[in-house]
Amino acid sequence: MHMNLLDMNTFFFRSTFPLILLTLFHNIMTSSSDLENPLAASYAPLPDGELPAGNNPTIRRPRKAALFLVVSAFLVLALVALIAGNGPVLRKELNTEVAPPSTTSTPEKVTPLSRGVEKGVSEKSFRPLLGADNSYPWSSNMLDWQRTAFHFQPKKNWMNDPNGPVFYKGWYHLFYQYHPDAPVWGKIVWGHAVSKDLINWRHLPIAMETDQWYDEQGVWTGSATILPDGQLVVLYTGSTNESVQVQNLAYPADPSDPLLIKWVKYPGNPVLVPPPGIDTKDFRDPTTAWKTPEGKWRITIGSKINKTGISLVYDTEDFKTFELLDGLLHAVPGTGMWECVDFYPVSKQNENGLDTSVDGPGVKHVVKASMDDDRNDYYAIGTYDAHKGKWTPDNPTLDVGIGLRYDYGIYYASKTFYDQSKQRRVLWSWIKETDTEASDINKGWASLMGVPRTIVLDKKTQSNIIQWPVEEINRLRTNMTVFKNIVVEAGSIVPLSIPAASQLDIVAEFEIDEKTVNRLNGDDVGYDCVKNGGAAERGALGPFGFSVLATEGLKEHTPVYFYVAKGVDGNLQTFFCADQARSSTANDVDKSIYGSIVPVLKGEKLSMRILVDHSIVESFAQEGRTCITSRVYPTKTINNNARLFLFNNATATKVTASINVWQMNSAHI
Amino acid sequence: MQVTPSYDLCLKTVLADPKSKDADLTGLALIVVDAVKVKGINTINYIKGLENSRPDLKTVLDYCADVYNTSVTVDVPLAVTALSEGNPKFGEDGIVDVTVESQACESTFGQYGQRSPMTSVNQDMEDLANVARAMIRMLL
Repeated sequence: MHMNLLDMNTFFFRSTFPLILLTLFHNIMTSSSDLENPLAASYAPLPDGELPAGNNPTIRRPRKAALFLVVSAFLVLALVALIAGNGPVLRKELNTEVAPPSTTSTPEKVTPLSRGVEKGVSEKSFRPLLGADNSYPWSSNMLDWQRTAFHFQPKKNWMNDPNGPVFYKGWYHLFYQYHPDAPVWGKIVWGHAVSKDLINWRHLPIAMETDQWYDEQGVWTGSATILPDGQLVVLYTGSTNESVQVQNLAYPADPSDPLLIKWVKYPGNPVLVPPPGIDTKDFRDPTTAWKTPEGKWRITIGSKINKTGISLVYDTEDFKTFELLDGLLHAVPGTGMWECVDFYPVSKQNENGLDTSVDGPGVKHVVKASMDDDRNDYYAIGTYDAHKGKWTPDNPTLDVGIGLRYDYGIYYASKTFYDQSKQRRVLWSWIKETDTEASDINKGWASLMGVPRTIVLDKKTQSNIIQWPVEEINRLRTNMTVFKNIVVEAGSIVPLSIPAASQLDIVAEFEIDEKTVNRLNGDDVGYDCVKNGGAAERGALGPFGFSVLATEGLKEHTPVYFYVAKGVDGNLQTFFCADQARSSTANDVDKSIYGSIVPVLKGEKLSMRILVDHSIVESFAQEGRTCITSRVYPTKTINNNARLFLFNNATATKVTASINVWQMNSAHI
Repeated sequence: MQVTPSYDLCLKTVLADPKSKDADLTGLALIVVDAVKVKGINTINYIKGLENSRPDLKTVLDYCADVYNTSVTVDVPLAVTALSEGNPKFGEDGIVDVTVESQACESTFGQYGQRSPMTSVNQDMEDLANVARAMIRMLL
């Protein structure tokens, strides 16, 4: 059944449209009786917005009808909004035309042009949303909504790198780079918070201020080491009164205080100054220490020589005097300054984490560094030679800085610690804002920590790590809605009826149609999440996934999706991407597309998990093989306007999805 | 060796400041960052003048004045702090923001269905900020 596209354009633009057309459309939907995959259990569809108490799942019966989404109109679902108020939300199939974006893709932060203009809707008719207090373009409603519910952040002002994370006397401690005076970076101190469960936090007083000449310009990043006798020591970088980067020792004033409120700086600081050949501004972020075969303690500190990123190695017996080893732990040309180096063992066989000092035949070692030049965290797996103090990557083409990233979105200055209470290695990371500083000033805060993740070696591939949100986050889950075996035809979109959509945990499995895959000829066109056209660019076998933080008419939405590509050799490659191009109608936020290829092994279904928490979306593919963190700043998709959609924008294959969606309670932060 | 965009602009800006004679790379970057500030201040004054002669553009001009004010009072000081303290990447973020703000100013006229009277002014600011950014990146 065809509906003239222009008609849809014009009459959907204003939602005052007569009910006649509504009813007409409604009848078209319900008259189709093509049911695929009738379900074993059939539940009456529940009215939108209502869920039974407790954990009873709601099962939607898939329907098939002919629908059209005009990309330029994107207002078809305004109709859904009208229907949804009156009854069950119907599933629609939409023929997404490939409308080339009106501006070319802008991968760099430098030129975020307006992506909101589509065919047939002129800029003139797009009135920017003026908020209640008339502050253009960001109202306080929009800015307030951005604050997260279960991601660590201080009450106000600026935060960056996580520091000295540690489990001590029953408490998880998180210190962090904090600027107490403004929501932008500046003279940095160590903020401090504690938690019993890595989810709910108590903010404590500033742990260390810029009160010494050797950290007068900033108490910068550092790490904690727990000694075998239970003592805790911290090494951190100070930016001196002359902006020289030095390393300093600090320890708790009262080791019996489990909250570690007060700290003492070693009177003999600094314990390390830049060695010969190293620039005074290229010497920072000391790691947690690990034991050497000789019984000493060893740390590594990132630096650079010209454009080669390097990691210096120091041995010490008392954390007060150090010996610089002749060689480097590792170096990679062309990668620039290595910030926030991290070095830790992972078990080849077991699922538990390892204390930083563990070594042996069943162990690989990970070297990670934050690349100053491109603001991404890279890691590589390799072999550590404890006697030489050297590490060699398993795969030099995937070396530190040129190979795998922890996360393909916004994720920097990350740091792990060994949680001895649960025998796991936990990863913290700084997630910056990708809006303007002006907005940060207006909203009074900037930056989050990602949800902490456990790290283990991927036993199946042996060539990457797996990251997964710590299991404590699952305690925030409530109000589960289940969608089982939804068949999404090529070019269709399904609104998922859930109570709210700003705080979600989504777990889903997808299957594409094997027959379609087999009869397709492959090609070698190649795909790149970042450079291709995002969710609007259709391939035979993708993209398909979810649109999170979406408005009814998809005026704003953030697709997180798989894109499967079949090569001429018949092999499939799977890409996992997050597309911010239409995440907001604002023109001063980053609208890049992030993502990467994700290894999918034979017999594995495609799976993804998405944590939605207001202005942050964390996406995980294949149980944590590939991760993407995004910042999203909608102007319309706020408060009760947020929706969740399932979509399949492929041209050839249908997709079958099984989904659990939980509402996420807010944590105490 | 030309490494920044707008080489002539870079040269002109740097040479206009006598401190450039003895400056190291950080010093040169600070010179260009200061020029960004001066241009920001001048632009704010220009906008104020426009508001008198073009009251029809007031809403957008107010917005542009706001964002340029942020460039001058937040982004530039952030860049100066970061460069002086030896953590230039935060300075790069600040200067990138200046380009975002000037582009936002420009495109907002269009969103109101108006023609921007500030196109070359906004472009000039963007060009200068990009020079500053390129220099800061050399310090990373």
